[in-house]
Amino acid sequence: MTDTVSPPVAQSAPLFGKDEKKAILDPMWDNNPIAFQVLGICSALAVTTRLDKALVMGAGVMLVTAIANFLISCMRSAIPSKIRIVVQLVVVSSVVIVFDQFLKAFMFDLSKQLSVFVGLIITNCIVMGRLEAYAMSNPPWRSFLDGIGNGLGYAWILAVVGAVREILGSGKLLGHQVIPQGLYEAGYVNNGLMVLAPGAFILLGCIVWVQRAISGYEEK
Amino acid sequence: MNTSSNGYVICFAVGVCVAASAALALCASLLAPIQDAAAEFDRQKNVMIAAGLMKQGDLRPRAELEKLYRDRVKEVVVDTETGAVAEGKTPADVAAMKNPADKERYRVGALSLTAEGKTDSIILPVSGKGLWSTLYGYLALEGDANTVRGITFYKHGETPGLGGECENPEWTAKWVGKTILDEKGALASIKVKKGVVDPAIPNEKAHMVDGLSGSTITSNGITNFVKADLTAFSGYLGNLRSKPQ
Repeated sequence: MTDTVSPPVAQSAPLFGKDEKKAILDPMWDNNPIAFQVLGICSALAVTTRLDKALVMGAGVMLVTAIANFLISCMRSAIPSKIRIVVQLVVVSSVVIVFDQFLKAFMFDLSKQLSVFVGLIITNCIVMGRLEAYAMSNPPWRSFLDGIGNGLGYAWILAVVGAVREILGSGKLLGHQVIPQGLYEAGYVNNGLMVLAPGAFILLGCIVWVQRAISGYEEK
Repeated sequence: MNTSSNGYVICFAVGVCVAASAALALCASLLAPIQDAAAEFDRQKNVMIAAGLMKQGDLRPRAELEKLYRDRVKEVVVDTETGAVAEGKTPADVAAMKNPADKERYRVGALSLTAEGKTDSIILPVSGKGLWSTLYGYLALEGDANTVRGITFYKHGETPGLGGECENPEWTAKWVGKTILDEKGALASIKVKKGVVDPAIPNEKAHMVDGLSGSTITSNGITNFVKADLTAFSGYLGNLRSKPQ
């Protein structure tokens, strides 16, 4: 290798030591990207009309963040700081496009439903945010775990919003009818607001409220 | 190596671009056949949805639906100049045609069959310009070649939430039962109205559907290309009407 200044490698880090666990668990609750960092909101509104869309999107962001974090972390000492952001963007875009290609091949219907929002993962603040804040200064395995953690933190919120919106907005969960026909005949009607963006916004607000109340967040 | 020297920056940039391009090109070429098969299956599903053989969101497995298409849908190549079925030409031949005049003339439609093999509905490809993109869909007519059984749009690049609502089953359901011929038997086609259809006016009740909010240009595009495609197929439809299957 060249004699570039490489980050001091101490004893090799354990696979799931304290720092590694922190990398995964923090973003799931305390440092949740949506509820705490308030990142990645717009796609959270747009793709959660149904649970399956929300799950695929959550999985997508998780994979993209983890893989991009890993790749950038591997290259972090070699990336010239003048073109740092551009290189991060190239890596993220490539990973997202590969993900999109896999969706078009194996989950065509969902890829049509998600349409532009898969491409918009590139612009999702969570991805670039973690690259700058974590991957540029942490070793690869931990960066990968951080990506997984943030992705999971994003995904569970999307899953909750998606499930509530699908049940209340169309009476189904994952395409299967869950509200019994009897209720419809008794006069129950699907909540149209849940299918539209304002409904998602309200739900998201409630989730942020609950999460911050439980974790004792204080406005500084 | 000095990571902030210009030479290094340029080499690194080139290296990253080459690596990313290679990875993407590899991925795209490996996945292309699977993607094409998935797109073809999607097209077949839309033919069947228009014909009423299945519903959107049908949970049956892919193999079963593909078999349903093979058993119950018969693709036909129509010569729009004569209105007759072009014997000897297959859909693959039409796809391979390069001359635009040929592509205008020969079109691939389909007939859906009952379980006993008799013609149940006629499915015509409709496509044309919307606002941002070309829309592709299927319009299915009942055996009388007049009443609409269903319509689907399976491929387009219109704005999601606006023109993209042309895919919404709640809107495409409004097309069901409309007729394409007026009382004199001339082609009236189906128009997308700017606003809500007034059922008290017979012309609107029979030949118009509610407009799509915020999507005037897409709606006008749909009106125009449905009429153009029905006009192209009018010879074929006329033949089907005069000799009932």
